[in-house]
Formats: sequence, structure tokens, C-alpha cells
Amino acid sequence: MSLDFTEAIERKVMLFDGGMGTMLIAKGLTDREVPEGWNIERPEEVKAVHSAYIEAGAEVIQTNTFGANRIKLAASEEGRSLDPSEVNERAAAIARETIDESSRSGIFLAGDVGPTGLFFPPVGNLTPGEARNAFKEQASALERGGVDLFLVETMYDVREALEALRGIREASDKPVVVELTFERKPRGFFTLFGDTPSEGASRLASEGADMVGSNCTIASADMIELARIMRAEIDTPLIFQPNAGKPEMEHGKAVYRQRPEEFAADMMEIVRIGANAVGGCCGTSPEFIRMLHEHLVHGH
Amino acid sequence: MNDLYEECAKAIIDLDGDRAEELARRSIDEERPVLETIEKGFVRGIREVGRLWEEGEIFLPELVVGAEAMKRAMAVLEPRIAAGKKELADTHRVVIGTIQGDIHDIGKTLVATMLSANGFEVHDLGADVPIGRFVEEAIASNADFIAISALLTTTMPGQKRVVEEIEKRAMRDKVRVVVGGAPCSSEWAAEIGADGYAGDAVSAVNLVKQLATAS
Repeated sequence: MSLDFTEAIERKVMLFDGGMGTMLIAKGLTDREVPEGWNIERPEEVKAVHSAYIEAGAEVIQTNTFGANRIKLAASEEGRSLDPSEVNERAAAIARETIDESSRSGIFLAGDVGPTGLFFPPVGNLTPGEARNAFKEQASALERGGVDLFLVETMYDVREALEALRGIREASDKPVVVELTFERKPRGFFTLFGDTPSEGASRLASEGADMVGSNCTIASADMIELARIMRAEIDTPLIFQPNAGKPEMEHGKAVYRQRPEEFAADMMEIVRIGANAVGGCCGTSPEFIRMLHEHLVHGH
Repeated sequence: MNDLYEECAKAIIDLDGDRAEELARRSIDEERPVLETIEKGFVRGIREVGRLWEEGEIFLPELVVGAEAMKRAMAVLEPRIAAGKKELADTHRVVIGTIQGDIHDIGKTLVATMLSANGFEVHDLGADVPIGRFVEEAIASNADFIAISALLTTTMPGQKRVVEEIEKRAMRDKVRVVVGGAPCSSEWAAEIGADGYAGDAVSAVNLVKQLATAS
């Protein structure tokens, strides 16, 4: 029996998991490797991250497939050696195994979909058709691997986010969540391509995304303000997954210094504003999700 | 008299490549000093574009089109840079680019422009440049400088990897590495074994000149 994610978000605030890439880096992933390669080479490490998030209280876990679309994989030497369909199907399968092996029930599996890494004109030469096909291919493989929903994340150009949504719709009728990523500028929040949160949210909602929101780049305190803007704009369910503060460089490595307590307190404010799902992005760990879970259970 | 420089700056701010190219030609027809046209005209324009980007008044698409306009003007002016300055180019060549994973182009383009305006032979590899390409281009063009821009804490480690790659290929005594970009610092340059850091285009030129005369 397949769980219905859209019904679940009507009943309660859903807790998504936290960072995957930063967790794998902590386990020894080097910057010469692509994280998605570990789905095949070191599946036990990826499963350990999924398992830690489930134990921490996450109700939705995300596959380790952020950069697993054909275009993104083609950008690196290791990525080119990987078969896009196999990576996505395997990633979904090992996440599904982790859920099945867990003692908790009612866990959803989200197929994670990140940007192609190429740009639409005038910045680059990416065409909507190329992007859509790459996302469609990824979604088909994730679907075969057994995901319950799709999570399009870290999109910095609404046009690409829309192609991801369309490509996934061509491959599957499962729910699709779409998150844009914003930078804070003196005049407000903007994507790299200049989309505002209001425009972005309303375009994605009117295109039929089941849930809309934002992840990455900004920290939880700024995300509160962003949540207010999006809540005022659309009635569609909302999701927010900020980073654990701003990364600082230490011995050539990015370090995230925010404490789980502060993160969880900010996320509860986002819930009060009307978010339907919350979770974390870069730098957040099972500790952050555990703390947030406790706050959600106790309602403060 | 200086209206032409105003127009040059404006063409860049208006992101108008056709106009920038046309004005560059006009400055040659009017026998204006090339360096002055670059520094008082086009560079002022691209600096303003950079400022507007920082402020969030314009975004990546506009930034890219502005940088393109700048490059078109420079393509017209570069061959005219005073012969005396060319001596520098005979002896010093700079390979420059923004590191892999990073698409921030403007600061790097500004540095490339200023280096070129000051007579260095510059090979601008653009943005999102793979580690190996910096080294390969340095070999191909017999460059004695590699200048690497990184605007993100997540892409900074790439600068270190370029230094490592140069060491691995035993080219360290032939090539100087200089770094720049918002999150970089002199401490960072020292930590990764680079030869220097510069915080803006003018200091970048001074740094490269200094290192060039020291060699």
C-alpha cells in the first residue's frame, strides 16, 4: 500500500530530513568524488545517513540524488562514468530498504532532484527541452526505485524549476514539491536569476506544484521572513529547509556553526507562520532534526 | 570632451554591446589615449554594473550581458594598447579564470581587463573553469601567472587544488598563483601556498606587477 503524502500534509506539519552532502563529507567523501557515486560504491554509508534521520524523527527522507540528472553527471569525470538511470534507481532502492528495515512506520521517500548546473540564456545555452528530458529521465528511474513523492530543490532559476516540474509530471503522477533558493540582497530576497519569492511561489503554484518553498543558502532567521512573504502570496502548502547558518572556512573546509536549539526555535516560528513541512539543508545533521522533532511534538 | 567616456560607461551600464563596440571604434578614430578610454570609460561602467549586482539591483543574466559588452569593447581596444606597454606582454602572460563550480564572472573580468590594459598578455578562461584547465592553459600559453577568482566559500578549495596541481606537475618555480574574490584573504593565500591576494582590480594589477619585477 502506498502512503498518500498529500493527505498527510493536510493533517499535520511534516518533518523532512536534513543535509546529505555535508553528512557524506563528514564520512570521508572528498571533493574529487560525486556524492551520488556512493549510492553504488558505499551504499551502507548512505543508508546510515537515512537511518540516522529516521531515528531522529524525520517523516520524509530524501534520496541521495541531488546531482544525479544526466546533465549534471556529465559535468564531472566520475559522474560521466555513472549511468544516470542506475544511480537514481539504486539511490531510491537503498533509501526504500532503510525505511523498510526501520521500526518506525509512515515514513515517506522523496526522490531528490537538483539543478542541471547549466544555465538558460543569456547566461548559458541550456534549452528547456534538454532540461525537461534530463529531469524526466531522472524521475522515471526514481519512480522505479520506489519513491512516494519528488522534491525539486535548490533551484535558482524559476524557468528551470518549472522544467523540472514538467519533466517529472511526464514521468509520474506522484506529488511534486518544489523549492527555490534565494539570496538576501539589500532590496530583499532574489534568486540568482532575479526571481522574487512572491513571483516564484505563485508561478510554481499555478503550474500545479503540490508544495512550494525554499531551501539552502540562507539561514533559519532569514527563512522566517521568506516564509511570511510566500505565505502571504499563495494558499499552496509550504516547505522550508534552511542551512545551519552561514558556512565559514576553516583549513579549507566549510564549517557550519549554528546550534540545533536556535535552528529549531526559528523553524517553529516558520511553522506558526503556516509552513506545512520543515527540514534542513547544508550543515544540518540528525541532531538538528531530532531537536526540531522534539519541538514539533511538544508544540513550542 | 569627456562625454565620450561617459557614453562608454553608459553603454556598459545599459548592457549594450553594439554601442560599446561602436564607441570603442570611435575613441580610436578620435585618437583618444587607449588606456584612458578603458579606465575612465568602460571600466567605470563595468564597476557600476558590479555594484548594481552587489546591491541586488541587477541579476546574473544582466551581469553576463554587461560583461559581454565589456569584452566586445576590449576586443577592439586591446590591439591598440601602446607599444611600450607591449614589452610587458612579451615577458609576462596571465591565465585567469573563476574556479570550477563558481559562475561569478564580473570581478575576474575586471581584473583581466585591467591587467590587459596595463600591457599584460591575458588569457581569460571565463567562469566555472576546471582545475586542470588552468594548468593546461598555462602550459599552452607559456604563462608565468595564474589568477584564480572564487566568490564562494564552497568553491575556494578549488584555488588550493590548482596550487597542488602545479606542484604535482613540477611547475611551481615557473608559475606564480594569485587569488581573489570576496571570501579570500592574504591569510587564505598563504595557507594554500599561493603567491598573493588582491582585493580589487587595481591592487591585482599592482600585485602582479610587483611579483613580475621581483622575478
